Amino acid sequence: MATPLKTRISAPRSNDNVVNGIKYNRSNSKRNNFEMLAWLFMRVSGVILVVLIFGHLFVNLMMGEGVHRIDFGFVGGKWANPFWQVWDAVLLWLAMLHGTNGIRTIIMDYAEKDSTRFWLKLILFLAAAFVLLVGTLVIFTFSPCPTGSPAELLPSFCPAP
Amino acid sequence: MQVHKYDVVIVGAGGAGMRAAIESGQRARTAVLTKLYPTRSHTGAAQGGMCAALANVEEDNWEWHTFDTIKGGDYLVDQDAAEVMAKEAIDAVLDLEKMGLPFNRTPEGRIDQRRFGGHTRDHGKSPVRRACYAADRTGHMILQTLYQNCVKHNVEFFNEYYVLDLVMVDDENGNRRPAGVVTYDLATGDVHVFQAKSVVFASGGCGKIFKTTSNAHTLTGDGMAIALRNGIPLEDMEFVQFHPTGLAGLGILVSEAARGEGGILRNSEGERFMERYAPTIKDLAPRDIVARSMANEVREGRGCGPNKDYVLLDLTHLEPAHIDAKLPDITEFARTYLGVEPYTEPVPVFPTAHYAMGGIPTNIDAEVFANSEETIPGLYAAGEVACVSVHGSNRLGTNSLLDINVFGKRAGIKAAEYANTAEYLPVPEDAADKTLALLSMLRDGNGTEKVGEIRKELQDVMDADMQVFRTAETIHNAINTITRLEERYKNISIQDKGKRFNLDLLEAVELGFLLELAKVMSVAALHRQESRGGHFREDFPDRDDENFMKHSMVYLDEEAELEGIAGLRFDTKPVIFTRYEPMERKY
Amino acid sequence: MASTAANTAPKSDFEAREPESKVSIASENGEGENGIKSYDVTVQIRRYNPEISEEAHWDEFKVQMFGTDRVLDVLHKVKWEIDGSLSFRRSCAHGICGSDAMRINGRNRLACKTLLKDLDLSKPITVEPIKGLPCEKDLIVDMEPFFQAYREVMPFLVNDSHEPERERYQSQADRARFDDTTKCILCAACTSSCPVFWTDGQYFGPAAIVNAHRFIFDSRDDAGDMRLEILNDKEGVWRCRTTFNCTEACPRGIEITKAIAEVKQAILARSF
Repeated sequence: MATPLKTRISAPRSNDNVVNGIKYNRSNSKRNNFEMLAWLFMRVSGVILVVLIFGHLFVNLMMGEGVHRIDFGFVGGKWANPFWQVWDAVLLWLAMLHGTNGIRTIIMDYAEKDSTRFWLKLILFLAAAFVLLVGTLVIFTFSPCPTGSPAELLPSFCPAP
Repeated sequence: MQVHKYDVVIVGAGGAGMRAAIESGQRARTAVLTKLYPTRSHTGAAQGGMCAALANVEEDNWEWHTFDTIKGGDYLVDQDAAEVMAKEAIDAVLDLEKMGLPFNRTPEGRIDQRRFGGHTRDHGKSPVRRACYAADRTGHMILQTLYQNCVKHNVEFFNEYYVLDLVMVDDENGNRRPAGVVTYDLATGDVHVFQAKSVVFASGGCGKIFKTTSNAHTLTGDGMAIALRNGIPLEDMEFVQFHPTGLAGLGILVSEAARGEGGILRNSEGERFMERYAPTIKDLAPRDIVARSMANEVREGRGCGPNKDYVLLDLTHLEPAHIDAKLPDITEFARTYLGVEPYTEPVPVFPTAHYAMGGIPTNIDAEVFANSEETIPGLYAAGEVACVSVHGSNRLGTNSLLDINVFGKRAGIKAAEYANTAEYLPVPEDAADKTLALLSMLRDGNGTEKVGEIRKELQDVMDADMQVFRTAETIHNAINTITRLEERYKNISIQDKGKRFNLDLLEAVELGFLLELAKVMSVAALHRQESRGGHFREDFPDRDDENFMKHSMVYLDEEAELEGIAGLRFDTKPVIFTRYEPMERKY
Repeated sequence: MASTAANTAPKSDFEAREPESKVSIASENGEGENGIKSYDVTVQIRRYNPEISEEAHWDEFKVQMFGTDRVLDVLHKVKWEIDGSLSFRRSCAHGICGSDAMRINGRNRLACKTLLKDLDLSKPITVEPIKGLPCEKDLIVDMEPFFQAYREVMPFLVNDSHEPERERYQSQADRARFDDTTKCILCAACTSSCPVFWTDGQYFGPAAIVNAHRFIFDSRDDAGDMRLEILNDKEGVWRCRTTFNCTEACPRGIEITKAIAEVKQAILARSF
């Protein structure tokens, strides 16, 4: 591949190209690395998500008695452990960002008008932000031993009421 | 009607037009008018290569190239022009390489070269590797590279502007000079006038006169006919090159590179018949000889196929990997269009009308001749539309790509230099009247004749009577048919009456050009009572240097008469000799 | 390349080589099919002429065609014998000029490379202009936006270093690196088959990227970085969704999606 070089030719060329009175300028888009990083994020997060999701499914559904042991106590027990808190938080963030960016590209590909794109994206981003906020809050502020709950529903490590 | 003003106007954006534009655009304000998008031009269909004595793979010398060109053209070549071309070929190739053309390379990384028909070492001793190439799409790469450089240099294109007339006026000294051109904008149907100090014609050939042709549908000789209608003679129009290997029945070109890489022509007996016609260089003899040999095999009953009307190009002894590396496109043509697999089956081929050696007469500076002596200041031509004459009576393979680059460049430089010293000539008020009248005659006429029918009859008769073998009788038959068709053309009508992209109208205009050129071609062929290069008269099978070692010049002249045809005048122009005496042409 | 073995000793080599054909030609002759196959073809063409009506409509024509005829021959037959107002671009008629890209039975094809014998003729053939570019009349579209995207990727060799007297050297491997993308004929079949391009026509499109690729990977070129910068755009290579429509549509058999992927990799490699 070629090495960088300052050339006398500025890019892009042929601005203000007018043919028969019609301007054929392409929209002036900003050049930055956002789309590249977004593209890269999709690939990297995709790979990580495979591990996280299948790890999550295996732990929740396959190990021990499998799906039958999932109850409040099980979830509470997991989220008392910082390892699972981080696992689930990463899973939440990567999955939400991955999905949101996917829908963003679908909006870009299928919405033809700029205004439609704007409103759809606004709704998408608000929804994503809401889910991320609430989800993160739940994972990190989850109390496994709420007062007043019957002891049989709580994890074993909760102090007896 | 809109009027535009440019220093230089170039008509046509094929190889020659764009090569000229690259030079002219950097020196003067230049507009390129083209009826096709530039990358659609037929330069892109050229396949085999572009010869230059680079001596990258074996000993070579531009003087040998000059000799081959002159001998290939059966000594009707202007030798000063051939020298210029062979000498400047080397720079032409290097220029293109520096512009970015991706030539195939030798193991050392230099431009690779291969053999091509008629190109020999040391004055005919054996074939030489002289053709620089980019697989079998050399023309495509030249066209793309030139367009890329036009983009680089911001050349102004007027795409789909069809030039219909040249505006010629008298200057203060009473000389005829171009003041501009009249164009028809296909998109809108408007007529525009381009005022210019220099006009360069680079509008290509007229292969569509024939039915079986490797030429594009758009190659209708527009530039030649426009020049002719403005009092400029056409030179050597009787010489048409028939390329030996067109796909049988279709005319699609199979490059000479197929034979350069080792392909062999065989008749129905499997015989390599070229051994009989050209014992030394066999299948790599010049195109006129190979085409005639093929036609002769078919005529003597050794043709192949159900109708015994073609011969076979055999590539089966070549390695498939070699074919893929060197001839990918043309093997694909055979597969797509004939359903033949060149690895294992021979390809049916037959001669196809390929190149007009004649055209608008120019000197080595691309300046157009007004008659046999004087040139017209400010008017230039280059490429197939022009007749320098560097191809004489038969062009060697690859020399057309050379022609467009060498003389395109010269035309661009000269046109710009002239424009920088000259003044604009006023364009008369009525400059476009003739064109507007022609358009309204064709568009609004209520005749009964159809463009398609007349064109088909013209092409059929030219294929039958003006192809590889000609006699006085067949030529007379062609002329009579053309005269009849010209009468019918006056009664033409088209169905599309609109302004927007009226291609029906365009085809009607083109047909007018074709008829005119076919007539000039036939009359010139009738007048040349000898056989030379691409022109073979069965009633005069020998070359006659005493009477016909000269260029023919045909003028449109209402008061004159030629061979019984009113409206044409005949003249000759001497052939320029430098150091090569005419010899018998044997290979 | 395979041929270099024959690069030496031209004369003796040429004289010596008198290879036999691998097929017996005599046996192949005189037989074969007599009489050419003929087809009855129904073709539906999308017509649009704003001089007459703002609405497009479909016209149906029935014609008889033969042997190796192509869709372009059908269009010519209709134009020359039935309806002269039918408008379409064409020039070389053998797939090298790129004038006649159109949607044939819903797929982008060159009309001159689409043989009738390869189509299902029991149903009408549909012919429409390529999508995503403004239709001007019948099968003719406005190509300017397409060429504008092409021009913006700097499709020309840039090399400001000292110019050698002879050619610039390039190894066969370096030359082969970008061979595929030199085949492009700018017919727009790829770009106008791309769903991302259809939306708003702002995406650079496969053809522009292919032509950038041709120079980015040319060892003689110095402006690869600038082209990568141009294509690292909101409307650049990252909009490619690898649907492979372009590769499927390319009449020249260019592996376009692969070329786009290579440009993506080059941008990433340059950034990290």
